[in-house]
Amino acid sequence: MTLPVKKILGLVLGLGSLVLLPFCGFDGLSPAGHITLGIFVFAAIFWITEPIPIYVTSLSVIFFQILLLSDQSLFLESLIRLSGGEYAAPKYQDFYGTLAHPILILFLGGFSLAKAAEKHALDRNLTRILLKPFGTSPVRVALGVMLVTGILSAFMSNTATTAMMMTVALPIVAKVPASDPFRRLVGLSIPVGANIGGIATPIGTPPNAVAIAALAKHGTMVPFSTWMMIATPLVLSALFVSWLGMCKMFKPELERFELNIEGTFSTSPKAIGCYIIFACTVGLWVTEKLHGIPSAVVAFLPMVMLPALGILDKQDIRSHAWEVLWLVAGGISLGISLKNTGLAEWMIGQVSFEAFPPFMLVLLFALIGFAVGNLISHTVSATILVPIAIAMLAPDVGAGPAATIIPIAVIGIIVSFAMILPISTPPNAIALSTGLIESKDLAKVGWLVGIVGITLTLLFGLFIWPILL
Amino acid sequence: MSKITIVCVEDEPDVLDAVIRELEPLEDVFVIEAAENAKEARHLLEQIQERGDETAVLFCDHIMPGENGVDLLVDLQKDERWQDVRKVLLTGQAGLEATVKAVNQAELAYYIAKPWEGDELMQIAKREVSQYLVAKDLNPMPYLKHVNMEIVQDLVRKHLSADR
Repeated sequence: MTLPVKKILGLVLGLGSLVLLPFCGFDGLSPAGHITLGIFVFAAIFWITEPIPIYVTSLSVIFFQILLLSDQSLFLESLIRLSGGEYAAPKYQDFYGTLAHPILILFLGGFSLAKAAEKHALDRNLTRILLKPFGTSPVRVALGVMLVTGILSAFMSNTATTAMMMTVALPIVAKVPASDPFRRLVGLSIPVGANIGGIATPIGTPPNAVAIAALAKHGTMVPFSTWMMIATPLVLSALFVSWLGMCKMFKPELERFELNIEGTFSTSPKAIGCYIIFACTVGLWVTEKLHGIPSAVVAFLPMVMLPALGILDKQDIRSHAWEVLWLVAGGISLGISLKNTGLAEWMIGQVSFEAFPPFMLVLLFALIGFAVGNLISHTVSATILVPIAIAMLAPDVGAGPAATIIPIAVIGIIVSFAMILPISTPPNAIALSTGLIESKDLAKVGWLVGIVGITLTLLFGLFIWPILL
Repeated sequence: MSKITIVCVEDEPDVLDAVIRELEPLEDVFVIEAAENAKEARHLLEQIQERGDETAVLFCDHIMPGENGVDLLVDLQKDERWQDVRKVLLTGQAGLEATVKAVNQAELAYYIAKPWEGDELMQIAKREVSQYLVAKDLNPMPYLKHVNMEIVQDLVRKHLSADR
C-alpha cells in the first residue's frame, strides 16, 4: 500500500509538532501550555491530512493528554517544577470522562431512537405520511422531500437519513425521463435537506455537540429546547430559500408527479413500544425548559427502555456509530487543556484583535469554518475553530447567555452549510453514488446553500436570536 | 478493489451481441464478459477468479454446441467457488425437464424466455447483482447507480459511513 504524499506529509509534520513544539520556549506560555500546543497542532494536522482515521486522532489526543498533562503524567514533577508550582494537573479521569460527556450521552439516546425507528420502518412511514400534503406539483414534491429529509435528519444522522430517502425516492424518480431536470432537483433536495436539517436539534449533527459542549465548559448551558428555538427557524428559512433557488436552477419539465411510497405502520407490540418511546423522548426533549430535566438525562430513557422491551438488541447497540462519539470526545478533551494550561489565552494574546469589531471576527470565523468545512470533516472544522472562538469571542459569564451563545452557535452552525464538494459530507457522497446527480450540480447547489446559509445565519445572529435568547 | 463481473454465455454471435449491448450501460461500475460455449465459460470464470475479481451473475443459454447450459450451471453449482454466482437461464429452448434440473440442482435464480422484452434483461441483471451483494455482504456504495434499491436498502444502512 502506498501512502499518498499528503498523508506522509501530515504524519511527519504532525508528529514533528508533537515532539518539537513543547521545547520551543514561547514567551508567556507555561510549560504545560507548550505541550498542549504540541498536541493541538498535531491533532489539527492529523485531522486535516488523515494519516490515521479522524476518530483515532481524537483518541490519541486523550491518550497524550493523560500521558503528558494529567495527574498521571510521565513528567508531572518536572511540569510542576518548571511552572514554579503553578500547574494544577487535571485528574486523568477528567480526560476519560469526556468519552461519556452528557452531550455524547444525548447523542447515544438519539442513536438508540434512530435505530429503533429504522428497525420498525418508522422513518419510512413518517416520510410517506409527511409527503402526502405536498400534492403532485413537481416543485412542491421537491420541497416536500427537502423538508421531510430535514425533519428526519434533525433526529437521525444526516447520513442515515440520506440513505433512507434515497432508497425510498430513487426507484420512483428513476421512472422520470433522464433528460428532465426534475430528477436532479430531487436528487439534490435529499443531501441539502439532510445537511441543513441536522442543524435543527443538538443531536442532529456532531458539530452542534461541539458548540454546545464548548459553551457548557464556559459555564453557559444550552438546553435542547433553546437550541431548537434558535436553530429551527433558521433551518426552515434556509431550506425554503435554497428550494427557491434550486427550482430556478433545475426547472422541472413534467407537469405532474406522484411520489407514492408504499407501506403501512406496523402494529406489532414492539413497533408500538418504539412509537411511544420515540414520542415521549422527543416530547421531553423539546419541553426541557418547562420541566427542567436535562436532555442528557432524558436520553437515558430510550437507552434503557428500548433494550428492556427487546426493541433493540445487543447487535443494534454494537452497530451505533461509536467512533463519532470518540471524535467529538477528543475535541472536548482538548478543550480542557486549552483552557487549563492558559494556551487559549496565550494564542489570543499573540494577535492584536482590538482593531476588529466582534462582528468582523465572527464573520471571519464563519468564512474560515465554511471554507474548511468543505474540505474536511464538519466536526473537525468545528472542533478546531470553536475553542479558539470561544476564548476570543465569548465574554465573561456576567454578560448573559445571548452574548456567549450567539457567536459560538453561528460558527458551529455554519460548518454544516459546507457542502460544495463530494467529500464535504457523507450525504453528498451517497447522493453522487446513486448517479442521479453529478458533481457539477452539487457544486452549483453547494454554493447556493453556502451563501444562503452564511447570510441567514449572520442575519439571525444579529437580529433574531438576541430577541429569542 | 476487486471488480464485480457479469458473464454472458451464448453461442449465437448476434444474440450475444444483443445481450452485451443491452447490458452495456452497466459497464461504468461492473465488468461484462462474454463466452461462446461452456468450455470458454469455465475458462473465463477461472480467469476472473485468478485476477482477483468476482463473478456475480451468469447469464447462460441452454442449447449450445458441446456441453449444454443447464449441465454447465449444475456443474458449477458443485464447485464451491461458483456456488454464490447468481445463475440465470436465458433461452427459448430449455424443456421442462432441463429447467427443473436447473432449478433443483443449480439453484437457478431466474429464467428468461427468449426473446426478452424491453429492459427485462437489464432489470434482471440489476436485481441479481443486488442479490449477490446482499448474499456476500459487500459494500453497495460503489454500485448504487445500477442496483435494485429495494433489495439493497438494508445493506446500504449496514455499510453506511457515519456523519463526520
